Amino acid sequence: MNRIFGKLAYSLFTIFLALTAIFFIIRLTPGDPVSRILGPEASQKEVLLYRKDLGLDQPISIQYLSYMKNLFLGDLGVSLFKKKNVGNLILSHIGPTLTLSTIAMLISAVLGVFLGIWSGHRKSSWVDNLSRVVSLFFLSFPIFSLAPLLVLIFSIQLGVLPVSEWLGVEHTILPILTLVFPLTSVLVRVTRNKFLEEVNVPWVTVLRAKGMGEFAILLRLTKVCLPSIFNVIAIQLSVILAGTMITETIFDIPGMGMLLLSSIENRDYPIVQGVIIYSTVIYMAVYFLVDFFNEKVDPRIRVN
Amino acid sequence: MNSLKKINSEIKWGGSILALYLVWAITWFIQSHFLKGSFSAPYLPSSDIKIELLGPGGQGFILGTDIYGRSLYELLSSGLNYSLGISLLVCLMAASIGIIVGYLSVTGPRFVKIASDLLINLIFVFPSILIAILIMAATGQSFWGLVFCLVVTGWPGYAKIVRGETIRVMGLTYVESAVAIGVSKLRLFFTILLPAIMPLLSVHIVLGLSGVIISEATLGFLGLGGSEYSWGSMLSMAKTVLLEAPSVVVFLSFSMGGLIIGLNLLGDGLRDYLDPKGV
Repeated sequence: MNRIFGKLAYSLFTIFLALTAIFFIIRLTPGDPVSRILGPEASQKEVLLYRKDLGLDQPISIQYLSYMKNLFLGDLGVSLFKKKNVGNLILSHIGPTLTLSTIAMLISAVLGVFLGIWSGHRKSSWVDNLSRVVSLFFLSFPIFSLAPLLVLIFSIQLGVLPVSEWLGVEHTILPILTLVFPLTSVLVRVTRNKFLEEVNVPWVTVLRAKGMGEFAILLRLTKVCLPSIFNVIAIQLSVILAGTMITETIFDIPGMGMLLLSSIENRDYPIVQGVIIYSTVIYMAVYFLVDFFNEKVDPRIRVN
Repeated sequence: MNSLKKINSEIKWGGSILALYLVWAITWFIQSHFLKGSFSAPYLPSSDIKIELLGPGGQGFILGTDIYGRSLYELLSSGLNYSLGISLLVCLMAASIGIIVGYLSVTGPRFVKIASDLLINLIFVFPSILIAILIMAATGQSFWGLVFCLVVTGWPGYAKIVRGETIRVMGLTYVESAVAIGVSKLRLFFTILLPAIMPLLSVHIVLGLSGVIISEATLGFLGLGGSEYSWGSMLSMAKTVLLEAPSVVVFLSFSMGGLIIGLNLLGDGLRDYLDPKGV
């Protein structure tokens, strides 16, 4: 129990450091947000007034304290451009992003582990070779070049799936496919390599010698591979989050990605900051859960 | 021992693909810097609205033109040189920082280890592409800003590898004897450590190149790149004319995909080749 609290405290500390880093990256990088927002024609007086309005005339230590206090109270500030509360804006956009990334992650996890074990089990067979070639192919096409290609094939050439928008189930298929292909490829490779590492260890030989069925052995091997797979999923999560955001901008899905991109274009810093804080916190929460879960699955991790 | 091992097919394929790309890049470099332009003012694809969105082969353009009437071949080539240039620069810088920090965190004073561990963990837990988006959005788009944020998110990976390798190498008997006879840390670094970790490091640099190319193109795609001659920003332009000119997207995707496939194949092949277990 103590250790869990220790880990939780460590995670919270990293989140705190991350938030501090975000604050300083935005404040200390060259380029004044105010002059960007108001444009080059703004008078000196307007700029000063606006700075005061945003609290940018205060010393940086005071700004930092109020930033942390507001974050702690869950207040992410007000959008400069849309004049709405950033927290509410994000909540109204988070649905599609979470839906897409969760579904894509679940499908890829099941598919990736299954294919990885299969191709590891039948090493150098046609299944193995095919899955290695296909996964290499999909890993080498970034999401934003894969998505237009999928649109070309499925929507324009075959005409079976709608191109964009976010209306019904058929609109989710292409975005999910776009996310599933690269993620599954990563997982297939990791699972296969981990499987091949574990397949010749003594305990497997013992089980086989005692006459355990091949399927039961495979199940146990899969269980041993799970922690590495979860770790990879956790590491890939930032890729998935970013990937989902990019996918949204391609398929016109009103999620966090659209929000982030439109606010980057408008130089709407509170939203950019808010989206990144949200993603970081989600990311770290999952990271923490994975750590916790891995110990439950594989007792060896607990001992080390 | 390694010299007896057969070079695997992944190295051959990856190496051949990369060789083709290198020939393409050098040809274009000579064309743009010496034949069509000068070294101080390299040639850039010129636009002509009258010939926009020509299909492949139209009016003497092998691959056609984009929405501004620029030759797609010339665009792809300048994108290739830009991608290769920035990824080499970023990887070498990130690897150098990683080597120094990784080495010092093992052999240097204790506070270096604590500080570098904290920094590495902090950068690792951040979703790296988001950190890059944040920096690029805050600093505005510039070439050096882009290099900076790709290096910032890239060096911890190298530092971790170098750290692990340094610990391993420092435990070897010939290194211990070198330390025992009083070889200085600087000399140890250049004559023993660097040669020992170079094979593994080169694998990670090759794989890192493809990662940087993807990150750079992603930022370009989101409108946060350092140049309009990035493949990413070309793709974001190309996707708006997907219906009218699908060939632009296809050529762009496959040029970029091909290069990344080559790098990944070579990296994977080299790793298998150098792996003593021979998995």
